[in-house]
Amino acid sequence: DAASTPTSLSRDWLSVQEVVDAVSSSSCGAISVFIGTTREDELDGRKVIGLEYEAYELMAQSEFTKLCADIRERWPTVTHICVHHRLGWVRPVLPWQISSPHRHDSQQAIQRCIDQLKANIPIWKKEVYDTQDSSWKENAECSWSTRNKSSSESV
Amino acid sequence: MTAQVCVLYFAKSVELTGVKEEIVAVPTPISSRDVWRLLLQRHQRLSVLQDQVVLAVRQQYVAVGDQVVTLADGDEVAVVPPLSGG
Repeated sequence: DAASTPTSLSRDWLSVQEVVDAVSSSSCGAISVFIGTTREDELDGRKVIGLEYEAYELMAQSEFTKLCADIRERWPTVTHICVHHRLGWVRPVLPWQISSPHRHDSQQAIQRCIDQLKANIPIWKKEVYDTQDSSWKENAECSWSTRNKSSSESV
Repeated sequence: MTAQVCVLYFAKSVELTGVKEEIVAVPTPISSRDVWRLLLQRHQRLSVLQDQVVLAVRQQYVAVGDQVVTLADGDEVAVVPPLSGG
């Protein structure tokens, strides 16, 4: 049975409780949660004052669906997956939750979920600095990133 | 044959072109490399993303290279700079 896998991209403040409720189940003894937050980073003396997230929303949804199918194939006991990601101007929070009967599967699954999201989901993050300039970041997991120049494999 | 495709720009490519979305007439079938070249002709500043970009045709990633795609009117072709979600 394909348990529900609600995922959403939202411009509103995200509720961790809402995401917990979406994955809670009487058959599950474990919920793994990842909450991505904004680090107060400093880069060359410039302080990050916020982030702006942009997405190719239609494709992010289809890639999320593929990602959830991948997780379920590797860990068939995973019951619910819920991923929320903010768009627009952001301070924290990105709560992701995966539930399973026992904790090992949900912990492994959430690791993969984060890695695969960073590699494949069409979402981009711009850091905005207190010097009024900004820069688009790149995930090392993304095979066409300049941070990953040794790879020229096709996606 | 020519297809009127909807080209979508994201992130840095929006800043380079000044455009989020435009309709472009593209020959079909066509290699993904030739699609990229066509977009470079329209927006030379996209060359900043050379070797750091892939395309997405009908929401499927396509590397810039020899792969041939068939396009139809209304298909979405996206310019995809390196990802930074999560």
